[in-house]
Amino acid sequence: MNQQLTDSSKNKKTFRFLEPVLRNLGLTLFAMFALFPLVWMVICAFKSDAQMYNTIFRFTPTLDNFRAVLVGTDYFKAFFQNLVVAGGAVIITVIAGVPCAYALARYNFRKKEDVAFQILSFKFAPEIMVILPIFLIFQKIGLYDTYFGLIWVYQLITMPLLIWVVRGYFEDISIEVEQAAQLDGYSWYEIFFKTLVPLIKPGLVASALLAFIFAWNSFTFPLILSGFKIQTITITALRYIASDTVHYGQVAVASTIAVLPEVIVALFIQKHLVRGLSFGAVKG
Amino acid sequence: MRKKWFKRAMSVSLCTAMMAGTLAATAVTAQAESDFDWKKYEGTTIEIQMVQHTASEAMVKKLEDFEELTGIHVEYSITPESSYFDKVSTSLASGSGSPDLFMSGAYQLWDYSAAGYVEDLDTFLKDPEMITPDYDYDDFVQSAVNALKWSGVPGDPVGAGQQLGLPLAFEVYTMAYNKKAFEENGIEVPRTYDQLLEACDKLQKWNGDNSYAVAVRGARDWGTIHPAYMSMFAAHGAKDFAIEGDKLVSQVNSPEAVAMTEFFVDMIKRGGSPSWSKYTWYDCGVDLGTGNAAMVLDADNNPVHQNWEGASEEAGNIAFAPLPVAKEGDPQISNYWTWSVAMNSASQNKGAAWYYIMYFTSKDFAKYATIEGNSLDPARTSVWESEEFKTLMEGQPGYIEAYEATINDTTILFTPQPYFFETTTEWAAALQDIVAGKYDSVQDGLDALKEKMDMAVSDIDLSMY
Repeated sequence: MNQQLTDSSKNKKTFRFLEPVLRNLGLTLFAMFALFPLVWMVICAFKSDAQMYNTIFRFTPTLDNFRAVLVGTDYFKAFFQNLVVAGGAVIITVIAGVPCAYALARYNFRKKEDVAFQILSFKFAPEIMVILPIFLIFQKIGLYDTYFGLIWVYQLITMPLLIWVVRGYFEDISIEVEQAAQLDGYSWYEIFFKTLVPLIKPGLVASALLAFIFAWNSFTFPLILSGFKIQTITITALRYIASDTVHYGQVAVASTIAVLPEVIVALFIQKHLVRGLSFGAVKG
Repeated sequence: MRKKWFKRAMSVSLCTAMMAGTLAATAVTAQAESDFDWKKYEGTTIEIQMVQHTASEAMVKKLEDFEELTGIHVEYSITPESSYFDKVSTSLASGSGSPDLFMSGAYQLWDYSAAGYVEDLDTFLKDPEMITPDYDYDDFVQSAVNALKWSGVPGDPVGAGQQLGLPLAFEVYTMAYNKKAFEENGIEVPRTYDQLLEACDKLQKWNGDNSYAVAVRGARDWGTIHPAYMSMFAAHGAKDFAIEGDKLVSQVNSPEAVAMTEFFVDMIKRGGSPSWSKYTWYDCGVDLGTGNAAMVLDADNNPVHQNWEGASEEAGNIAFAPLPVAKEGDPQISNYWTWSVAMNSASQNKGAAWYYIMYFTSKDFAKYATIEGNSLDPARTSVWESEEFKTLMEGQPGYIEAYEATINDTTILFTPQPYFFETTTEWAAALQDIVAGKYDSVQDGLDALKEKMDMAVSDIDLSMY
């Protein structure tokens, strides 16, 4: 009996010792799986065209691809223009989308759900389906190939997501919280900015980041609605698929730099991001 | 003695007269050239949509010179080919006049001109006030300019009618091969279809398990049909369409077409890549460069980019030959592709846009784009004949010879019609299905294809033209 107890205790100790090891091993394997495409992209950025297809890890690293992409081309111009368009789109989305989400969560008006669904449907519509009429309208009203035009049309991508996520957060906040603040003498604006905004922050940050990623990666809208004065990085990165050959090393450099803003922003706000996304995932 | 004196006097007189004539002609040309008013459209802004191409890069590098010469400001966009024509089609369809100019291939121009989007450049070419004396239209490789002429009537061959664009560069279809593969295996470079099939058998896995004999395009789009397949199709005497009454009727299930397709399918099965059905221009070139493929049947300039020093693992081992033929002595027939500059018929700046076309299709620019900008094949005969070009291509053995053997029988071998992309995409899909064994025979596959192609062009009524 004693022997059995000793064995069981030993097993428990072994398991207690093994558990974190196995967990870390599992996480390491998953991290390797998840990060491998990024690592592969970075490796390709240092390979020459001649060694691109016939080497894996052992090759002569070169900075030629960086030189080809960064020196003497308009890559940084495209990077900046993408930043302006995607950043501008998210700012407008937050400014207009949060009050809209609040209204959909708090007020009752006719056809409320229809309006909410209409907003969501903008996200479902394939861009290529609506691009021709938008192109014609933009040409007529002078928005073709302008920052404002792109920022405006990007609302189709960014706004629905943010409104629907943030609306859920507003609905989760009890109305009594607002009423209590009113009793304490706060104006509506003070209640909104000092009480409600901190409570929706995780959802707002997460949806704003996702909106930024969608806007940053948008291809069809900038392809058709700009080009002469403005060219976003998604279009520019493809230019390294040249007519002579695909310069995968240059594509890798362009893509590696292009993902940096998304990675940096995600790292800075990861605390809110995890909370925001997981809250959204379990909401009924 | 008098006779000798007379002869000398005559020689001196003749030489003097010839020199004077030459000097006078040069002076007249120079005078006319200097008289040409390059500043006529000063202050105008024009827009051009360009595809990602070496010719575009060369144009961008020379924009400043053009702007300085003419006072015309140029705004441009460069888009990768995979998305380029979506952008151009949308822009032209808007009828807004933007862009003023665009780059295009001949097939796309059939589509655009049928919709009335393309300006006839003959208007400018025939106006002495709008053309510089040294433009030298006759210096163009004639098949290149002819490929861009079309009457607009479906079924009419290219070579007559409106000048829909002027060429920047073009490609003909030849064979490139890895010299090492042939030398090591003691095989002669194939000149006939039978020799090609024999080489396919011998060169499978010639350079390791992933290597194979011959790369051809196979993706499910029009790009698969127009290079080697169409060239060999026509060489067999097959045609895509014939005019019957007022209709275009597909001929892709004719005995010649079936025989050719049987050969092509056999070649892919015996010597093609296992991933053939996704192969594009890039895959064919890259596989030759990496030593996976021993031969490529594709555009003549595609493998060149793998053969420049340091460009790929097999750089320096690649050589060129004409496409194999049914039997030795048969003519070298090749289909054609050309990148050109065309003008939007809705442009509000046609004069300035024409100046752009004239400048960037000139002899001088063609030479610059080819020698300095790696833009192949040049559309100007003077560039082909220049010593600089011959020196540049010394490291590409057989390239010029294969071109010279092919160019005389090179033209667009498709029947011009506005549903080119629908019909050729169906064609590529049928070819894939035949190779995959979805039909009992090649004949069955091509019979089914004929029905689809007839349906695609069914609304063309030639009595309306």
